[in-house]
Formats: sequence, structure tokens, C-alpha cells
Amino acid sequence: MTTPDGVASAAALAVRDRRRWPLPKLADPTAPLLVVEDLAVRFRIPSGTVKAVDGVSFRMDDGEALGIVGESGCGKTTTALSLVHLLPANGTIKSGRVALFGIDLVPKTEQQMARYRWREISLVFQGAMNALNPVRRIRDLIAEPIEVRLGQSQDAARQRAGELLELVGIPAQRGTAYPHELSGGMRQRAMIAIALACDPAIVIGDEPTTALDVMVQAQILQLLERLRRDLGLSLILITHDLSVIAETCDRVMVMYAGRVAEEGPVRRVFMAPRHPYTQKLLSAFPNIRADRRTLEVIPGMPPDLRTPPPGCRFAPRCPAALPVCVEIAPSEVRFADGVRVACHLYPASDVAPVEPQP
Amino acid sequence: MSELLRLEGLQVYFPVRGGAFDALARRPRGYVRAVDGIDLTIGKGEILGLVGESGSGKTTTGRVVVKLTKQTGGRVIFDGQDVSSLWGTKALRTYRRRVQLIFQDPYETLNPKHTIGEFVGEPLDVNGIATSRQDREERIHAALETAGLRPAADFAARYPHELSGGQRQRVVIAGALVMDPELVVADEPVSMLDVSIRTELLHLMLDLRNERGLAYLFITHDLAVAWVLADRIAVMYLGRILEIGPAEQVIRHPRNPYTQALVSVSPSPEPPAEGEELKRTILVGETPDAAHVPAGCRFHPRCPLAFDRCRVDEPPLVEVGEGHQAACWLVEQG
Repeated sequence: MTTPDGVASAAALAVRDRRRWPLPKLADPTAPLLVVEDLAVRFRIPSGTVKAVDGVSFRMDDGEALGIVGESGCGKTTTALSLVHLLPANGTIKSGRVALFGIDLVPKTEQQMARYRWREISLVFQGAMNALNPVRRIRDLIAEPIEVRLGQSQDAARQRAGELLELVGIPAQRGTAYPHELSGGMRQRAMIAIALACDPAIVIGDEPTTALDVMVQAQILQLLERLRRDLGLSLILITHDLSVIAETCDRVMVMYAGRVAEEGPVRRVFMAPRHPYTQKLLSAFPNIRADRRTLEVIPGMPPDLRTPPPGCRFAPRCPAALPVCVEIAPSEVRFADGVRVACHLYPASDVAPVEPQP
Repeated sequence: MSELLRLEGLQVYFPVRGGAFDALARRPRGYVRAVDGIDLTIGKGEILGLVGESGSGKTTTGRVVVKLTKQTGGRVIFDGQDVSSLWGTKALRTYRRRVQLIFQDPYETLNPKHTIGEFVGEPLDVNGIATSRQDREERIHAALETAGLRPAADFAARYPHELSGGQRQRVVIAGALVMDPELVVADEPVSMLDVSIRTELLHLMLDLRNERGLAYLFITHDLAVAWVLADRIAVMYLGRILEIGPAEQVIRHPRNPYTQALVSVSPSPEPPAEGEELKRTILVGETPDAAHVPAGCRFHPRCPLAFDRCRVDEPPLVEVGEGHQAACWLVEQG
């Protein structure tokens, strides 16, 4: 398959090579895997409207692992749920574009979304291993989406379920077990197998290892790494745990109060953070490889997102805040090394301005 | 540092009851050996980090110390006195004043229908400590302020739902402080909290130690949190302590293979350099069930270095450095 745009087509070809199932009919083979532009999500609550996500943009290429990190209430889970229209009933996407293979998912109806949810974007939640249907065998839980979404026969689906179990490190004959017969780590592996059942373009992991023991967490992260290497899996990993992202992701997006504070290659962002929030967050994280008792405190609390401050949302807690910070929200500036930062400390005139997203 | 708490050969076995026949015969089918013979000391004003995965017995150990669970063997000695058999006595009340517990989940600990003042004041009422209404109020306010909730009068009138997660955990700490304890058993007190709030609370706990000489038995699954807070770290596995020593020694020079593996997988926010592989020892499988403790060294089925002796004999804790002990046949004394 040949396309005029060499780079993008290589990525698209990789998806096609791997997948057993065709891309959606409307897919543009030259488009990037996922482009989110200016996403805004609102929640209506009795006391007002919460601006949970406000102007979030990012792009993901095939085979890439993107980590979204931030504290509770920063909008990381909301961002992920809005990609697949799984927001709670009081939440709506106010504006923005979510383009998967160039197809905008925002205007899709519930019925149309069924084609994309799970088949193109699947999810592994925190504690999802405890949500497995207790009266069904693991094998059947994995086979179900293959039968229902891809219309395969029961035999073919079970066959595939066995392969998927082996892939995530569970012997296929264990497929006849019920969820309660497996340990927590095994159930989380089964959950990952279910998420992989339809060969999705993107797997979203929302705190996939948070409820697990350290050693089991290491096992699951190792599994995700292997799946990325072997399957070229594209992964969005949402977590409050910076260290999980440091070890598994290519890029990291740091969110604060519904906005992107900083985004870029993991090593660049974590070794030389530019946004004061990223700097504070990293220095507040207990690190076994660093000195003891040097933890920093971020004073204050995140703003109330019903009435966010007019300027930079981190300004009230920022040690480096300038007068302009409390008045005008900073726009994103992009550095040559691929990091973009929304902070007035880096005026757009000093560095290359943000290129418009394709 | 003078000794505050000593556990000697502490043992907690829970009976596993089987079916009707076992029940009729009044015999348990077996025992879950939750805590299987541990020795520990905590000095006055010392922070001991008790680290382990789920099923290691760390929480049970904490519950024995606060006397919520009865030990089946061994002794608990507090401030020179044997408190092992202190049940249902007046002396137990005094003991409970001096030893307080902080739980993991600030959302479940607080009664949503009680104000913060009522929650913090409850132990005073139960123990009949306050001499007057005014004294009671002063003690509550002092505890709230020490826990960093200022203005105290304002917080005392609020309900839990009006507070953030970090503030709730501060309230829980205030509820422990109001009794002016000497030892606090903290069971995963920060694991549910966000990074920035977690740091604030770790600082608060350190300040309380520095200002009041408060000692902690700090129970956590997170080696990194123990690293930043604890003076000494004890690593538990399946009811036993496999290594104990100064935090610096245990983390930087672990001697037991289990500790070594834990340290190697303990995540760090420093990403590996380009092309560099992480040096991690990822153990296979999960902690076995404490009802079926393996023979010999209980870690041997998962140990990458196990040899014949490990399958037969259980290694004792031996001195490997100043105040640093490890239980492993590979460790030479001295």
C-alpha cells in the first residue's frame, strides 16, 4: 500500500499489518492514530458547572505509549472516558475533536460508537479485575467480545481466547477457571486479555496497577512492555504514579486542573521538567534512588473547577508566579526537543510557537 | 534511644474451620500463620517502617500492638511492662491511651454524621479524660492545630464531607493526637492520597516525631514511603521478618534476596536512559497462602538464589552489620 505521506503511512501500515480485522470504513490511512484537539468536558452538578477538562490537545502515533499523569481531579480519567463516550450522565463534551484514524468520534451517536468502543479503543480500569462476572468462566469472558463485536463463531472465539490467555501469561487450560479461582494479578492479566480481544488500535489503562502489590505491579508492567514490543500496542496509561509512567511510556502528559501543563518525551520531561508544577510534582514523589527526606510540599490545593482562576490555574500555588500569571492563561509553547509547556516563564517569542496540529 | 516497645516471638495463628464434621469435632482444619514468630523493638521517638506485600502479616502485627487482635504466642512489652495478657482491664485503657492507631482510609474512618470536633473529642469522652467542657474543647483545638487544621474552631464545627482527602487524614491524625500518645501505629496512612497531600502528611508525621518524641510503627507496602520516613525498616514476608536494619542499610545494601528484589522493582520517577535496560528482579508468582507456609525458608519457592539447604531449614536472622539483620543462608555472619 502506498500513500504520498511516507511517515504517516508507515505508521498506518503497521496497524494494518498487525490487525486481523479491517479498519473502520471511514478511516484515512494517512491520518495519525489519534489526534485530540481542544477537548472541553463539562459536568453539571447542583451547585454549578465543573470545567473538568478545558482545552486539552494531544496526538498519539501508532505503537506509542502515552502516560497521562496528574493528581485526583485533574481531568486525566475524564479525558480518557470522553474518547469513548463513557462519561457519567451529567458529563458532556462541550467542544473539541477526537480523531481516530482521522474519524471524528465526538459527533458519533451511541449506536455508531459501538463500532469503535472495544473494537478500536478498549479500557482496563483500576480494580477492573474485581468487576469480572463471577459466574462466567475466564475463557468465555474473553470470547464474548469476539463473538458479539466481531461476529465470530463460539468455537473460533474460544480458540482465540485461549491464544490471548497464553499471550498474557496464563496457561490456556486455566481458561475454564472462574474469576474467584484466580489471584488478583491473574485477574488483571485476564482483564488485559479481554481488552486485547478485538485487536484494538488503542488500549487505555486507567490506574491498571494501582491496587496491586509491588511485585505483581512489576509483573503487569513487564507484561505491558512485552505486549508493546510484540504487538506494537498503542497504549494510554493514566496514573497518579509518576514512576509507573517513567518505566513504561514514551511520552508523558502532565495535567493540572483540567489543562495540559507539560507534554513531551518521558525522559526530557522527568529529567528536566520545565513547568513549575511538573517540577514540584516530581520533587514531592518519594524516590528510593534519591536522598532521604528531601521531599517538597506543594502548598495549597487545586482550584475549584466550577470557578477556575482566570489566569494560569497553577498560579495560586506556583513559587515562580509572575503578575501576568494570575490574569492571562498561558498558551502552549513548543520546544525543539518535542516538549510543549503552558507557562508564562517560557514566552512564545523565545522559542518556536506551537505548530498547529495536523 | 531507650526502648518503648518490644515484640518477642510474636505469633498469631488464625484457625481455619472446615465443614460440618470439623465443626462437630471442634477442631480447626488448619491454621493461617499470619504472624509466625517475630521479634522487634521500637525506641522512644523512633520510626520503624514495617514493609511487606499483602498477606505478609504486617497489618496483623499492627493490630496486635494496639490490642485489636489477640496473639497466640509471644509477648508484647511496652515501656518495660508486659502487656501481652492485658485484656478487659483498666490497665488496658491506660495502654490504649498511650498507643494509638491510624487507619488507611480517611473516608471510612470518619462518621459522616459527626462533626470533626465530635470525632476528635470522642476518645476524651470514652476515657473520661477532660475535666470540664472547656478543657475538652481546648484539648480538641490543640489536637486539630497540631495536625495542621487551623483555625481549629472552624474545622471542629465542620462535617467530613466538607473536607478534602488530605484534611480528613489530618483529622484522623488529630483524633490520635488528642490522647497524647507515645506510640502511633499507622497502617498505610498515606497510600490513598495524592502525591502533594501525601508529602504534607509525611512532613507532619516527621514534625510530630521531632517536636513531641512520638514513635511510629509505620506499616506500608511502599518501600519508597518507608525510605523517606523510617529510621529503621523491617521487611516481612509470609509472617516472618526477613530483614531489619537502618533504612539506609536495608535500601542501599539489602542482604536478603527478597529485599533485593523488592528494592529492584520499587518504581522510581527517573526513567531509564535511552537503550538502557532496567535491572529488575521480578519474582515469579505471588505470595503463597499463609495457611500453607512452605517448608524450610518460606521464601525459597520464589527465590532466584535458593539452594538445597533453603528447602529444608529455615534461616534465622543473623547480624550482617551494625543493627542490621537478615535471614538467609547465603548471608555470612559479620
